[in-house]
Amino acid sequence: MRAVMDTTALIEPAPPPAPDRAPLLELRGISKNFPGVKALDDVSFGVWPGEVHMLLGENGAGKSSLMKVLCGAYQADAGDYFHNGEKIEIRSPADARRFGIAVIFQEFSLVPYLDVAQNIFLGREFASAIPGIMDRRRLYREAQAVLDLIGLDVDPRTKVHSLGVAQQQMVEIGKALSQDARILVMDEPTAALSDRETERLFEVMRQLQAKGVAIVYISHRMAEVFALGDRITVLRDGKLVGSALPGETSPDELVRMMVGRNVDMSYPRRFSTAPGELVLDVRNVCAANGIRDISLTVRSGEIVGLCGLVGSGRTEVARAIFGADEVTAGEVHLFGKSHSGGPAATTRAGVGLIPESRKSEGLALIRTVSDNLAVAGLPKLFPNMMFSRGKARRSAEELIKRLRIATPSPNQNVALLSGGNQQKVVIGKWLAAGTRLFIFDEPTRGIDVGAKSEIFALIDQLVAEGAAVLMISSEQAEIVHVCDRAYVMRGKRIVGELSRAELSEENIVRMGMHDD
Amino acid sequence: MTDHALSPSRPLRLPSVPGVAISLVGLVLLFAFSSPGFLSTGNLSNILVQSVILLLIALPMTLIIMTEGLDLSMGAVLTLASLVLALIIVSTQSLILGLLGALAVGLAFGFVNGSLVAVLGIPPFVATLGTLGAAQGLALIVSDGQSVVGIPRFVRQAYSGTVAGIPTPILIGIGFYALFHVLLYYTRFGTYIRALGGNRDALTLAGVRWRPILIAVYMLGGSMAGVAALLMTARMNAGHPTAAIGMEFDAIAAVALGGTSFEKGNGWIFGTLLGVLTVGVLRNGLNLMAIPSSVQVACIGALVIFALFIDGMRSHKS
Repeated sequence: MRAVMDTTALIEPAPPPAPDRAPLLELRGISKNFPGVKALDDVSFGVWPGEVHMLLGENGAGKSSLMKVLCGAYQADAGDYFHNGEKIEIRSPADARRFGIAVIFQEFSLVPYLDVAQNIFLGREFASAIPGIMDRRRLYREAQAVLDLIGLDVDPRTKVHSLGVAQQQMVEIGKALSQDARILVMDEPTAALSDRETERLFEVMRQLQAKGVAIVYISHRMAEVFALGDRITVLRDGKLVGSALPGETSPDELVRMMVGRNVDMSYPRRFSTAPGELVLDVRNVCAANGIRDISLTVRSGEIVGLCGLVGSGRTEVARAIFGADEVTAGEVHLFGKSHSGGPAATTRAGVGLIPESRKSEGLALIRTVSDNLAVAGLPKLFPNMMFSRGKARRSAEELIKRLRIATPSPNQNVALLSGGNQQKVVIGKWLAAGTRLFIFDEPTRGIDVGAKSEIFALIDQLVAEGAAVLMISSEQAEIVHVCDRAYVMRGKRIVGELSRAELSEENIVRMGMHDD
Repeated sequence: MTDHALSPSRPLRLPSVPGVAISLVGLVLLFAFSSPGFLSTGNLSNILVQSVILLLIALPMTLIIMTEGLDLSMGAVLTLASLVLALIIVSTQSLILGLLGALAVGLAFGFVNGSLVAVLGIPPFVATLGTLGAAQGLALIVSDGQSVVGIPRFVRQAYSGTVAGIPTPILIGIGFYALFHVLLYYTRFGTYIRALGGNRDALTLAGVRWRPILIAVYMLGGSMAGVAALLMTARMNAGHPTAAIGMEFDAIAAVALGGTSFEKGNGWIFGTLLGVLTVGVLRNGLNLMAIPSSVQVACIGALVIFALFIDGMRSHKS
């Protein structure tokens, strides 16, 4: 098995558009650490007036962290900021505003029960002649001008909570534009927009460019990257991989720069050649949570990956299968039988969901290992409703031995275990319940490197014993490493299936982000 | 990924009239039939006068609840402030000094409440439950458990006087209602209050320091308890160590009745006015029917549940 590999050599930075001039804004050697994660590692980055600088990277590559550092929402642990060649400090969003930096957030920074105008000018209300009183007439007049600019046809007095997602995104854009920003940062601004709104946004962007505004644009859409970008910078694992000019690179090259995250996995897996009977058969399922026309199968003895960008609908598929979100069309077959019903019925049918947020959804953190292991298996362990501490303990001890959970005793508080061992407890909980189909949502999130291979060994052990596994992961390398097959999602649909032979990070990324 | 707060809300079409208006009209009709004296000018004026103190507490309570907060200490702070005010007036004969004392008590408690919530991050329920106990204890200490009597005659006279035929307390109530209305809809402060409950990150990203604003909201509440203490002392012509204990319940009930949501900064100050009147009508009508005070509290509770049910029907979807 390949252990540590790096597919890309560092590419020389592309020449700046105006080498004789200092960039409008420049970051040098920015690092930002969170407990256990290096979100940004020695990143240097600059934008010149009038250019659109595209920022690319996989999920978790550090794009959003870089953006938050730019706008003062995060403070860098190390590194310097320069504005027109002069060293500056950005310690808060207010500082960033002073230097003309405005950000269009993907997670909306809107207040639901304020109206459109109040949201656009939040923090910049106009004073009237009467002390303390706002000039509301001017507020609505200026807001109307902003709405005209972005081509959004809503009354500025409409409360934001009653707008649709696309309209809210346009309000967010209007809010940033109204600040007369000289540096505009956009995080996937078109994700929620229709074609017409997208076109309007690009038009506004070109006008701003002509006025000398510098734009930093985060995107997952290759078409946009090449249509709009003057320069492209790729991040990976919090590091700057390289930058390129759109005329001198290709989508394939960019994908190669993005992938190849270092994943150390010493555990070799024997891939399944003859999978067993059909365990999960999802046929043309649409669900209330937005997923459309999903068809997939998982057989016993198989690990099937479900990949795609964050927001592509992976978790929604898991929730629909599990019965947590309503299926509106299509059929789910479990173990050869048509299945419908909520999480309780699905659990009884032998399906276990190991959620992404282990601590809030997977475990009762204040209880013991033994209690947590027993909780899903209660009906099976204690068929006549009478709880027996001894029986629960014996069952727990068996699972602790079988899963090699590192805990001093079954009565240890589960909060005191390491992330990897907590994950094992969640898996054990379902084993006790007699689960035969495991759905993992980001099984290695927040687990340190050493424990990751142990989790994969455990997943392998599950399928070797005849279980079936559907594994959602943002870590392409992990999917490639452990899965027998994988489905790739984009825009709430499955856009392709990759066999073991076809599974590679490049293929996953290419399928997951290309728009045709 | 789905954020229900941001998805367009689909209100049920059923009650386009808010629950509080239905409650108020329903109660007025009910009491008009059951108690002959209810609709007399004297009684209606009486309801308004008696509702003013509750209004003075419920107005700032609305703003506090809009920040996704709560102030349980208001009744106790009002009581303590009225005792301090009574003690100062009795010893100095100065209404101004007394009022300043009451305001100081209110502002101090408001500052403590606000700081506990905004700076230390203590949940408002817990923080203000703590200061409720402190204020109640202090009220017993300063009064030694006795009523403070000997309030000069002019205080009571001012309270029961009229201006242009309208009782003074009603004018005070109208004045403060107008003040809060302007504050909420025409000032930055009001805008930020709605943002505090709706999306604090939006304020931070807009470069607004929200903690001082949140503290100011609680201090406004405290100072209004001080103003209400003046009216309370004047009405009773004395300071009582248990005078307004539990009044926060009526105030929160009135705010909830008025359709202010406990989430996301969705508030309606005119609804609070209607809510206060509804509580006032209910209490008055039940009094006329000689229904004991303990049962009245239960009735208010039932009415709040009714109004929240309507609120829930209107805002809840799927």
